[in-house]
Amino acid sequence: MIRACLSLVFFLALELSGAVAAGPAEVVAKAVLLEDKSEEQIALIKELDPTPELISLLTLWKEGGIFLLEGPSNTKIPVVLDPLKGTDDKQAAKLLATGLPHTDSDGKPARLIASDLNAAETDSDLRTAMKSILDLAGLAADDRSARLQAVETLGMEQDPSRLPALRGRLEKETDEEVRHTIREAIALTELKSSDPAAVVIACRTLGELGSIRSQDALKAIAKDSGPTAKAAQEALRKIELHLQAANTWGTIFRGLSLGSVLLVAALGLAVTFGLMGVINMAHGEMIAVGAYTTYVVQCIFGPGLELSPFGIHITLPSLKTSGWIYDSYFLVAIPLSFLTAALAGIALERTVIRFLYRRPLESLLATWGVSLVVQQLFRLTFGANNVQVASPRWLSGHWTFSDVSLGWNRVFVICFAAAIVAGVFLLLARTPLGLLIRAVMQNRSMAACMGVRTERVNLLTFGLGSGLAGLAGAFLSQIGNVGPSLGQSYIVDAFMTVVVGGVGSLFGTIFSALGIGMVDQSLQQILGNPVLGKILVLAGIILFLQWRPAGLFVSRSRSLEN
Amino acid sequence: MADLLAAIFDQVHTRNLSMKVLNNSAKALLALTGMVFTHSAFAADTVKVGVLHSLSGTMAISETSLRDVLLYTFDEINAKGGVMGKKIEPVVVDGASNWPLFAEKAKQLLEKDKAAVVFGCWTSVSRKSVLPVFEKNNGLLFYPVQYEGEEESKNVFYTAEAVNQQATPAVDYMLGKKKEKFYLLGSDYVYPQTTNLVLLEYLLSKGVPIENIGGGFKKDASGKIISAGKYTPFGHTDYQQIVAEIKQFSAGGKACVINTLNGDTNVPFFKEYAAAGLTAESCPVVSFSISEDEFRALPAKQLVGQLGCWTYFQSVKSDANKKFISSFQTWLKDTKVDGVKKEGRVTCSPMVLSYDGVYLWKAAVEKAGSFDVDKVREALKGGLSFDGPGGKVTTQKNMHLTKNVFIGETKADGQFKILKEYKDVFGEPWLKGTFKAK
Repeated sequence: MIRACLSLVFFLALELSGAVAAGPAEVVAKAVLLEDKSEEQIALIKELDPTPELISLLTLWKEGGIFLLEGPSNTKIPVVLDPLKGTDDKQAAKLLATGLPHTDSDGKPARLIASDLNAAETDSDLRTAMKSILDLAGLAADDRSARLQAVETLGMEQDPSRLPALRGRLEKETDEEVRHTIREAIALTELKSSDPAAVVIACRTLGELGSIRSQDALKAIAKDSGPTAKAAQEALRKIELHLQAANTWGTIFRGLSLGSVLLVAALGLAVTFGLMGVINMAHGEMIAVGAYTTYVVQCIFGPGLELSPFGIHITLPSLKTSGWIYDSYFLVAIPLSFLTAALAGIALERTVIRFLYRRPLESLLATWGVSLVVQQLFRLTFGANNVQVASPRWLSGHWTFSDVSLGWNRVFVICFAAAIVAGVFLLLARTPLGLLIRAVMQNRSMAACMGVRTERVNLLTFGLGSGLAGLAGAFLSQIGNVGPSLGQSYIVDAFMTVVVGGVGSLFGTIFSALGIGMVDQSLQQILGNPVLGKILVLAGIILFLQWRPAGLFVSRSRSLEN
Repeated sequence: MADLLAAIFDQVHTRNLSMKVLNNSAKALLALTGMVFTHSAFAADTVKVGVLHSLSGTMAISETSLRDVLLYTFDEINAKGGVMGKKIEPVVVDGASNWPLFAEKAKQLLEKDKAAVVFGCWTSVSRKSVLPVFEKNNGLLFYPVQYEGEEESKNVFYTAEAVNQQATPAVDYMLGKKKEKFYLLGSDYVYPQTTNLVLLEYLLSKGVPIENIGGGFKKDASGKIISAGKYTPFGHTDYQQIVAEIKQFSAGGKACVINTLNGDTNVPFFKEYAAAGLTAESCPVVSFSISEDEFRALPAKQLVGQLGCWTYFQSVKSDANKKFISSFQTWLKDTKVDGVKKEGRVTCSPMVLSYDGVYLWKAAVEKAGSFDVDKVREALKGGLSFDGPGGKVTTQKNMHLTKNVFIGETKADGQFKILKEYKDVFGEPWLKGTFKAK
């Protein structure tokens, strides 16, 4: 995509300058032709001024957008392709040096297929040289993150000749984070200085900045002796402290986000199992229904989808959206996945569960059977392979606060969990339906005597629980796999969360989800082993349930009283 | 024997009754007098060849593709007259991702069907499970999928990538890119564990200090390292902690990740990796278990720019490869075999190594002039060559293959852009303990 844009920009530039194009394009064309002689290539491109045209040319070259054609008598012709593809996948070619259309042997403008051509190669020395030119230019970029990245890489190079540029930028820079990074980059570069005093000062600065990036460089210095080594050791100690703080905050955040994932997955079950007392083994499949709904919505927003379950051919239309409209597919998918899962849940309640309200063991078996059937339906409809759900752009970035990085998707799940918990709480506590639900769940016969249509309340409650599972599916599609066995991987965790929290207590579910998440992540951090942490959590839960069989928050529930 | 009679019987019921009967009876007599009674099947004009892959269960997604490419290869060979004038008759059995069942099915192929050769297995555990059966019956198995080495059976021909045909070239490439720190991450089973131990020795021998190798170590009582790297179970979904660790590990630059995660655990890992702001530029990931075929189920966008290392990529530019891809696609379109998925198919290294294996076996049979396993093995050990889609492959004395190794960079369309090629790399299964630390 970026490459296409770049070549578009460059192509337009060529178009405008037409035959009179001179300067960078010509020199770059010359450099491209010097294949395998990277030293001469580097010398050539280093002489050029870093104009925007050069920047786009170099980027294009680096990304493999300049192609070499076989010319007459063993010569080679560097060309670029028009980013507009014809229906036959062919693209118009222009000469790199002059911007004139490239003609074939008949004198007609040539149209070529990119994948058949040989891109002008770059080796790592050349790419490094290109990158340093690009980064120097990047220092003045308008985009904050581009500046940040340029500073980071320049710092990592530890090249003293970059110092004036960095210092110059520091004076102009207003963004606090970029300033921080520039100071770090300057200090990192100063570590290479031959003056021990400068090195000591640099060490001190790095220590104060808590620069994780400089750890490797500092370790190398700390191995020597003398005042510089001492300063480096001191700096390393400070960085270590900073790192510990960052790790602690990071663990809390990760625990919170894992807890939220568990909570989102378990909340629906807290309603169907916790409130209604139905052991619903098909809860995982309700999650999968939500995830597949997200996938289908994404496909409709994007390229469309063809399905052929049971030999019936279904073609879902394509809206062919792109950009921010495409990215908003997820906002549409969230309510839809609630709806489809709720409908699936209602169908399940009508056909199976309503006959089994008083027989928990049979409902366990029956819903397990349903879960197998539904999984097979997914396989028949969507195939046995996982399907791809792409995260919208607004979910795929991250914030970094003093070396704790908060993924947007993780922040989103925390807010999402908070929102649906609040929603469920309001529904149960503040609406007439909620009142009916609570009444029926507490004592069905009495509620029926008061004129409550218990059948209908059961139906709606089960639909609500399933819909919540669908919401979980919509979210889980953003962080993991969407496949026929998606539900299987969350059902155990969901039951575990509900049971530990205390069956029938929504508050307990919240508490236990966050607790399990925190303990799991802390153990992972301390033990450095992803499996051991989980095993200890499970062992802990088993012991805990020995001590308190009813979970954290004991509440009265119809099925458990008998 | 039963086959023979059946064949005669069939012919009797067709035209030219008397002549055919005479003709076949003569053949039958020849056979009965024990002219060429080999281990292999010996029907009138076919030779039985076993296909032993999982067509159901968790491994079916990967292994079904190998079944497809094998059937295609048999059809291609049969259309050109077969092997020594005999048509290949495939016997396809389903290992069902069930390792003991693999051994039973292997037994059936060798003892009941008398298959002259078997092409099959994907996971190392399935190979280990069938190994005693092949050794007892003196069968011959062609094994096509990258594996950890430390094995050399006379009854297995390993067309697979050995560790020095995938892992160590990849590390060489990263060292060439001035990478100094290596984080080892894998799924918890024999292939990643063994490969990473070999890589640890290799990295140390290249002068990489041990503190620059990330993921952690496990030592036994005597202080010997018995496990290097970070491992997660199959189906693991939460990679937050590991990615945070990699982020700190790579903060100083010059770091890369060596990834032997298997199957769909790669999805949550790469999603987390991208969300944490790690990119192929800041810290590239080299994956050993993601080929074009696996890409069909992965979010390609999140993997763009990350590296892979195999002995074949679909993007290899050669006439042999072009022809292979187009005729395989034509075959897919026309085939009437049940359960063959026709759309969106790609080719990948294990598929091509299966394809190469069939042709190498054919060449060996023709050189030996016999289907006898011992004679075929001798022919294979003698250094046969075949110009496959990934370039020339040559058999070695140790039942492995000399072949080209490619490093590729992932593109958004799920294909690899080839960055480097190592020509004619000798397959060496015994690597552990061969690299001496500097």
